[in-house]
Amino acid sequence: MNKIKRRDTLPYKMITPAMIVTLAIIFIPMFRTIGYSFMNYIVYKPTEVRYNGFENYKTIFSDPLFYSSLKNTVIWIVGIITFQFLLGFITALLLNKRFIGRGIARSLILIPWVTPSVITALMWRWMYDGNFGLINQILFRLGWIDQFIPFLADMQLALPSIMFALVWQGFPFFAIMLLAGLQAIPDELYEAARIDGASTSQQFFRITIPMLKPVILTTLLLRIIWVANSLDVIVVMTAGGPGYSTYTLPVYSYFKAYKGMDFGYSSALAVLLTILLMIIVSGYVRNLLKEER
Amino acid sequence: MKKTFVFIMVLVMMVSMVYAQGGKESEPEVQTVKFWYHFDDPETALNPLIEKFEAENPGIVIEPERISWDVYNQKLLTAIAGGYPPDVAQVKLWWQPQLVEMGALLPLDDYIASWDGKDDIYDKVWELTKYSDGHQYYMPLQMVILYLYYRTDMFEQLGLELPKTREEFLDVAKKLTRDTDGDGIVDVYGFGIRGARGGHDWWGTFVLSSGAQFFDEDGNSGLTTDKAIAANQWFIDLYRKHKVSPPTTPSDGFKEIIANMVSGKTAMTIHHLGSAKTLEEALGDKISAAPVPMGTEGAWTSFGDEENAVFAATEVPDAAFKWVSFLAEAENNAIWQKSSGQVSINKSNATSDADRFLKATTDSADFAGVLPAHSGTAEFVESLWPALMQQAFAGQITSEQMMQQIEDHFSE
Amino acid sequence: MKRHHTFKRLLTIYLPVLLIVLFAIGPYIWTFISSITIEKELYRPDFRFFPEHPTTENYTRLFSKLDFARNMIDSMAIALMTALVGLSITVPASYSFSRFKFKGSKVLLMQFLVINMFPIMLLIVPLFIMMRVLGLMDTHFALVIAYSTFTIPFSTWMLTSFFNAIPQDLDKAAQIDGCSRIGAMLRVVLPVAMPGIVSTGIYVFITSWNEYLYAAILTSSKVRTIPIALQNMIGEYQIEWGLLTAGGVLSALPVIILFFFIQKQLITGMTAGAVKG
Repeated sequence: MNKIKRRDTLPYKMITPAMIVTLAIIFIPMFRTIGYSFMNYIVYKPTEVRYNGFENYKTIFSDPLFYSSLKNTVIWIVGIITFQFLLGFITALLLNKRFIGRGIARSLILIPWVTPSVITALMWRWMYDGNFGLINQILFRLGWIDQFIPFLADMQLALPSIMFALVWQGFPFFAIMLLAGLQAIPDELYEAARIDGASTSQQFFRITIPMLKPVILTTLLLRIIWVANSLDVIVVMTAGGPGYSTYTLPVYSYFKAYKGMDFGYSSALAVLLTILLMIIVSGYVRNLLKEER
Repeated sequence: MKKTFVFIMVLVMMVSMVYAQGGKESEPEVQTVKFWYHFDDPETALNPLIEKFEAENPGIVIEPERISWDVYNQKLLTAIAGGYPPDVAQVKLWWQPQLVEMGALLPLDDYIASWDGKDDIYDKVWELTKYSDGHQYYMPLQMVILYLYYRTDMFEQLGLELPKTREEFLDVAKKLTRDTDGDGIVDVYGFGIRGARGGHDWWGTFVLSSGAQFFDEDGNSGLTTDKAIAANQWFIDLYRKHKVSPPTTPSDGFKEIIANMVSGKTAMTIHHLGSAKTLEEALGDKISAAPVPMGTEGAWTSFGDEENAVFAATEVPDAAFKWVSFLAEAENNAIWQKSSGQVSINKSNATSDADRFLKATTDSADFAGVLPAHSGTAEFVESLWPALMQQAFAGQITSEQMMQQIEDHFSE
Repeated sequence: MKRHHTFKRLLTIYLPVLLIVLFAIGPYIWTFISSITIEKELYRPDFRFFPEHPTTENYTRLFSKLDFARNMIDSMAIALMTALVGLSITVPASYSFSRFKFKGSKVLLMQFLVINMFPIMLLIVPLFIMMRVLGLMDTHFALVIAYSTFTIPFSTWMLTSFFNAIPQDLDKAAQIDGCSRIGAMLRVVLPVAMPGIVSTGIYVFITSWNEYLYAAILTSSKVRTIPIALQNMIGEYQIEWGLLTAGGVLSALPVIILFFFIQKQLITGMTAGAVKG
């Protein structure tokens, strides 16, 4: 790390534009929203808007739907991130090799990621369809099932089904980011290792993983946050149903805000989600910041 | 230096953007009416109506903004909460309580009193759209009435009569539910229930007609009476016990309901004129329509409405009213309905040579009802009903628990 | 020997790549097939993988009646602008976070993470008011600014980690060779970090290309991005399935083609060679 002289303003100058933009367009709205969470703020009752302290939070902690949404959120994050990461990493390693058609393969795997969420959600919904769906047709023809499965109408299957669609949608992100990370590893390191007689797996664990670590940690971190907050696919595919079986915290917060018009309660849910995420990533971030050499 | 340059560039860009927008001022003598609307058919444009209006009313310019249905309500409420509503917007009845409570709407009573076109609109429509405080905030735009679709060929094949009561209906639905090719798997289901959002219309048809009511004459809840709970149980049983609706029911939305009818997966469902074209194209005369069967206490079907409202914040209320009343006049309303495929609100647009679908619609008008004018109705429709219904279909909650939760929601 | 090698490559590279590509494009192909199928054929009781009477009608309608080309231009302009503005702001910031130890750097970096955690849907009403006051409603700029709410924090973190992965010796070597710190960044570190910068840019581009909620609230008739145009096909009582699937197929194409040309940038030609030179 470059030691810098006192009153050296260069590092600050370099971050100033980013700071200004975030301050102006995120901080102000964010603090307003945090303020709402301490208010009785139902949009269609403008005369009853007032501060009510921790009232919203108290209600949330006795709200069974909060706990079931919380559970779903955890399942959602862990399941999706694990599979997106594994699949994305494998893809990145493969696409880092030289082979014929690599450029085309690299472009094609982007398709899930560049397809608008509404199309992704509707298409998977259509493929999962219990009467005409492609997935049922294939499973049926393979003889793996003897009756069509109503994937999205089933309390147990709905969440995993949506999660699978999300894995599809998001694995290219890991693939591209990790591929970029792999490219920054100098070839010399591998050459030296080969000369020393290191096997492929030794090279992988002793060079690739350690060198890639900052990128892996950051992509995981950012992706956890992104996945935790993503709700558009759920809203289109099941709208939280059947029952409340696919309610995650952002979905709940969204419905409270824009279907129930209860901005106070919704904001409190959002604040709790943010705190939850901060707890999940705090240990992680401490490590990450220590990593800096 | 690069970083300074980037920084200045961003600043300059932001400042110039503010200025670029600041210069525009509309000329004072022209009144601009901002109008928000949604249409299901993305190819339809409002232009012919706007051109006609602007020709008839020089000095008024309509600035239409088409918004997708999916975010329509959200965008409208964001605009109101943000303090910038449009002058006129297409609205739904179940938003009315919230909009009125927010003080967002302009009462139209005085305007309507001196408007010639008022007598050409069905009394029933005036009655249903009047708000509970006695004011008329909404200007009617179109009617949508739900009725029963059924497969004539299947009825004929099994020698079935059109059901008039819910008992006959259950009997017919059971008979229609069958395994046609003998492989032990049910191929046709008697009745397609919409179990996802929007399915409260299916539910209302059987539950609100058999003793359940949101509020009785005295304003007390009528949802948890024995009769109401039994009616709800009867509806749950269609799926859980008698299995006359496909296993996919809890997740079936509009698309699935119609797809199931087209493919012959279901033999009956409930919907309205909007799907008549699709169904007739696919099934020809094998599809017909009739009013929904009666419940134990009478008949109920959903009146799906569209209205226009003028917002209280408008600076051009006269011009805004001219536009909403223009759309409610017979000639113009007929043009609107041509694009929407629904029914005009004007008596003079009634036609004598109605096809079977239009006939089912008008035959149902007398017992068409709406959900209560309550600020909780929107959430009930959007998220509460689907969640509760799906839980009841899955057996996670009882009929009584479901009705109790609805009652609690409306008593808050 | 050679033959054995080829077989091994087939099994360890070509086959898995093929499977992954198939997984990635399978649903897309199915979308395409739906888009050339007449709607009533979709619901046939007897299932067919390919339609009996394929049609291009949906595509014609998209362009002739719905102005889909304009939607694509709007989306492209916004996504490109967001990526360019985002990168030009965050590359210096990230370099600074990665290379300098200064008072408050960790706190400042953390704040980017925290704001990224906040659900963006709740920022809508305040943003709406802000755009209104600035007179930016229904402009491309409104979305470029709004998208910066999530792309700037993200890019800052992502780029910082890419810069961190590049050995500091590179900068030092360059500075010994007589470069200034900025010169070291521009001439030595940036080229090595190019794959990271490009992929971060791709991320910002794609996220903006697909964003829906902000676009729905902050723009209307003058600016209409692809996701909004597509959402418009989902009505209250009807879904325009054919147009929707056709639009979905087309909306992915420009990005795929664009990416095909820039993906070469994901391979850095300099790597450690720059140090030696």
